[in-house]
Amino acid sequence: MRPELERLQHIEEQLLRGPAAQPAAEWQLQLLLDPELQADAEAQQQLYAGLRAAGRRQLRSELAGIHTRLYGPPPEAWPHRVASWLRGAFGRN
Amino acid sequence: MSAFSLSDPAALRLALLANREQVLTELYAHAFPLVRQHVGRHGGSAHDAQDVFQDALLLLYERAVGGTLVLTASASTYLVGIARNLWHHEQRRRARLPHETLPDHLEPLAPEPVETEVAVLDYVARMGEKCKRILLDFYYFQQPLAQITASHGYGSVRSATVQKFKCLERLRQAVRAAFGAETLTA
Repeated sequence: MRPELERLQHIEEQLLRGPAAQPAAEWQLQLLLDPELQADAEAQQQLYAGLRAAGRRQLRSELAGIHTRLYGPPPEAWPHRVASWLRGAFGRN
Repeated sequence: MSAFSLSDPAALRLALLANREQVLTELYAHAFPLVRQHVGRHGGSAHDAQDVFQDALLLLYERAVGGTLVLTASASTYLVGIARNLWHHEQRRRARLPHETLPDHLEPLAPEPVETEVAVLDYVARMGEKCKRILLDFYYFQQPLAQITASHGYGSVRSATVQKFKCLERLRQAVRAAFGAETLTA
């Protein structure tokens, strides 16, 4: 892997407590000695928070799809379906 | 064994990781009618029932795959209990508000995303399907890399790992470009 990717992996191990995570004291020392590491770690933490929000959005959309498959579209959708059918039947836009 | 009758969090976790859609559908079909009935009897609409139930299912999913779920009954019973609590919480919240400010929708389960989270959300939505899938499958849906390797068709766990970090790097660069250095510093 490129060094930039290795750095992302190194920070990830620490933030997500992976098997290669360093002891907390060692990591704190590294952060003190390398201000860029501190900034990079904060940035990566923000990415994870954003990915969590994106994942929730996707899961909500999957659940809405399951609801529709089990119980049909929401009731307020039917006038639109009728309107669309009428437009098709009478050839109007 | 059906997903809704599972009472072992580890078995539920494995089932959700192996076949999310099927397991969520089983749980939905079994537990939602009970929640709809309860919410309906306590002053809520069908839409309210759908909102609280989906919030409860999201919570169950996150706790199950995150390994923090504790079950004392079946997954389905847990789900109904959580949804009932969420609905009572929502009722109390609405009772505190003056009528003219009553919301159309429930208070979101999670706090509103902060600015950088919104930027990540927007960029993830615009990402290529390959990167979007690998990032969400790993970081949110918590699928192991070995499973991602097989389901996404990578040659090895190593190449899936490299691809994941390339996508993460791309996301980071895009958010930095959108936000400037003061938010996502480096």
